[in-house]
Amino acid sequence: MTILNESGIPDVLPPLHAVNDLAQRLPDVLIVVAGTQAEAHLIQCLTSAPSPNLPPFRRNQRVIFALLDPENPPQQGLLASRIVEIAAGNRGTELVLLVAGRAAESLGIDAAFEARLVARKLDLPAEVVNPDAPHEVPGILSTDLEDRVLAALVNLCPKRKTSDLVETASPAKRGGLFGSLLRRGAETPDSNGGRPVVLLGGTLSPGADRRLAAELSRTGVEVVGSVPGSGIAKLPPLGEGTVVAVMDPNLSSAATVAERRGATVVKTLMPVGVDGTARFVQDVAEEAGSRISEVVRARSVWEDLGVLRNRIRGKRIFFTGDTGLEIPLARFLADAGAVVLEVGAPRLDRRFLAAELQALGPDVDVVVSPDYRGQTNRIDESRPDVVISSPGLHLPLVARGHLCRSPRDFITAGLYGYGGSRRILELLVRTMERAENLDSLNL
Amino acid sequence: MKLLRGVYEGPQSYGILRVAASIGGVHTLLRALPGEAYFRALYGTRERTGAMAPVTLSPLREGSGDSMAPGNLARDLSGVVRRHPKAEIVILARSEASLLSEEAIPVTNLPGVEGTGRPLQLVTFPWEEPGMREIEAAELALEDLIRSLMHDRTERSPYPTVNLFGPPIFGPSAAAEYAEAERLLDMIGVEVNARVPLGAIAGDLGRLPRAWANVLLYREVGEYATLYLQDEFGMPRVTTPMIGAAGTGAVLRSVGELCQLDPKSVQRMIWAELAHTAKLPWYARLEPPETFQDRRVAIFGDFTYPLGLGYALAREVGLEITACGTYLTHLQRDFLFHAYTFTEGAFVEDDPDQVASRIETAKPDLIVGTHLEEGVADSLSVPFLPLCPPVTERSFVGRPLMGYTGSSVLADELDNVLRKKSIEPAGEAPIQWTEGALQEVSEVPLFLRGRARRLAEEHARKQGSAEVTREIFLESRH
Repeated sequence: MTILNESGIPDVLPPLHAVNDLAQRLPDVLIVVAGTQAEAHLIQCLTSAPSPNLPPFRRNQRVIFALLDPENPPQQGLLASRIVEIAAGNRGTELVLLVAGRAAESLGIDAAFEARLVARKLDLPAEVVNPDAPHEVPGILSTDLEDRVLAALVNLCPKRKTSDLVETASPAKRGGLFGSLLRRGAETPDSNGGRPVVLLGGTLSPGADRRLAAELSRTGVEVVGSVPGSGIAKLPPLGEGTVVAVMDPNLSSAATVAERRGATVVKTLMPVGVDGTARFVQDVAEEAGSRISEVVRARSVWEDLGVLRNRIRGKRIFFTGDTGLEIPLARFLADAGAVVLEVGAPRLDRRFLAAELQALGPDVDVVVSPDYRGQTNRIDESRPDVVISSPGLHLPLVARGHLCRSPRDFITAGLYGYGGSRRILELLVRTMERAENLDSLNL
Repeated sequence: MKLLRGVYEGPQSYGILRVAASIGGVHTLLRALPGEAYFRALYGTRERTGAMAPVTLSPLREGSGDSMAPGNLARDLSGVVRRHPKAEIVILARSEASLLSEEAIPVTNLPGVEGTGRPLQLVTFPWEEPGMREIEAAELALEDLIRSLMHDRTERSPYPTVNLFGPPIFGPSAAAEYAEAERLLDMIGVEVNARVPLGAIAGDLGRLPRAWANVLLYREVGEYATLYLQDEFGMPRVTTPMIGAAGTGAVLRSVGELCQLDPKSVQRMIWAELAHTAKLPWYARLEPPETFQDRRVAIFGDFTYPLGLGYALAREVGLEITACGTYLTHLQRDFLFHAYTFTEGAFVEDDPDQVASRIETAKPDLIVGTHLEEGVADSLSVPFLPLCPPVTERSFVGRPLMGYTGSSVLADELDNVLRKKSIEPAGEAPIQWTEGALQEVSEVPLFLRGRARRLAEEHARKQGSAEVTREIFLESRH
């Protein structure tokens, strides 16, 4: 594996577009976006991941734009009281998320203060989400908002009861830089029944957390819940002694928050693909206190996938995506026999993704902050069989005769776990078959 | 500060980009946060042509001076010049975050291109300010672009020609509107000198004074530019919206007059079109008067479309327009002046919730609006026609609303929705509402209120109750 930094302008869908998807996914959350006309317009136009078609317009009752007037920014506390009015009319609100980015900041909005005021007046939790806050690593991913919202939700999880803490004799905060390397072997699994596991992620893949929890329960691990899970009221306890299993490669800030609360974040592969899932289940189980081997299971799944693998073998795949999920996806497809030409990563957190990067085959090139024009030229030169493309490049690439799929298609199809491995391959095979059928027509 | 559930317009940079992306040979450098650059993704899905959007992002970030990564304005500009050899005009636009950050924009002229000697011009907009809206900015940007290209005087064409000032890119069926106007002008013997902005190339803008007159199809964007051309070059304008058979006829007659054509031959062509293409007058005569009697229509949209449609529906079809509104607050006076000619219910409003309540109080049987009004129509269960921009519908075949073909499209749309007479729940006693229930309903967001009321009444009927109590209302909401 080679990592190149192209220092270009990557094609990334603005992270704010996810507001609508998140509002739909979290039905008991009121999302207030405090910002400019641009931010409101963006959220409204990009109602969902814009695949080739324009999404139908659906106004979500739980998304409110607080449009700030640059000439006359609101007085302190005004925003909070307006939010309180709106929240009163919305039944069943359990949480208020105040999305306030750089524009709100430069207009002098103290989002943290307003959120505290909302929380006090409504007697409900209220959290601030800043879509423009800098990451540890430069660059943006289109799934950043999801990460930050999940970080806010992790913050809202109840801390574990003190009685639980005494039992588990906290293994201290050990996430740190080389946590994953130093920890192995140094720790003995808990003797009294193991530590509870919380799944983090899978937000936009319905049912993904449930299926993965079932997979983990099979190994005797207790999965107490997942974030975002199925409602604010049902957020699992998360704190010292909890094992947090991260499902998505873009959730670095949510994982950091979990670590800061004292939970152990398992540094392993993402549960994408056969080997990824096997390693994930194995490592999470080990961290939770049960030592199992997934080798046999993984082998049988690989065998089951034989027919599909034969269709993928040797196919050349180019990733320009912007979600961050491309890296595990590329790892799996390379393992399945495809030739991965290049993986574009608008932002690459090497520390967080250390395990993933190590597992990436030797022939895979990762291009950090790729330039979309450069990518287009390289795609034109290498003529891959399939391009997993970002939204801005999707149509131009299709117009140049490339076969494209959006990384979001994989997310909504559910790419996690052993079942997800099959769905990933089926989706690709279906795409290629359809293209072949259409190409065989004499127009 | 306003709390809204939706916005009708984008920010100023979006308006500038819409105009700039409409004109060939223009490339825009957008100074913005990476999280604000949504135009490229939108361009793909809205245009569906497969072309790459003619816009480059110059990301706004701290400490961009020393690294070689994009973000240094001067370097990004020369990058645009190098990478887009066909561009004749480079526009520098700024996003709201960039304007709010109050960063200084030092670049005043374009870095030279070695050894090419091609004309290349940088256009910046000093009037950009945060809080400005899409349409106003588009209008100003088009005027500035044209002004910056008026270097030398061009001769008037020897035969009659006009410029078409129509909608910019992303307008629903924008290209089809120009095409229909061009077809009609061609039939009366007037050539189109340039389509502005959609379909023009940079060079066309400098040759606009060749034409004898300017036909303003979409006033929202072309107003300032045509006023400038009128003041500077004495070019007359035709401003009637070319919607409906009457509007189209008026435009063609005015153009005929300005181009000194024989009025009789213009009229002959109009008659021929009325006989063959324009089906709205035919539809209005074909249907029995009962179809249109007591049918109230609420219209909401930008400027040209609600006014044109309102006039056509009121006069040519005979529907009652009980509300007609615009979200373009900066055109308030003009809009109200024109709208009062056919309706009592003219209004200006840019909050979708308020628009919903205005429409609701107008008790319409049909709503013509933007895609944000779809929910209102749904909640009142009345038919809805998304004919005013912005709309999400994109058809591969352009269906104009302007001109005679447009009048037929309108007739088809009306025929589809008006044929189904709404069936009143006959013979049922009206349901009363208790105080408590009324209070509950007042907490429902405006645009959902009609639907909530209907569901509650249905629920009460099902329960055999003659009134909606607080309990019944709350049950119906589950």
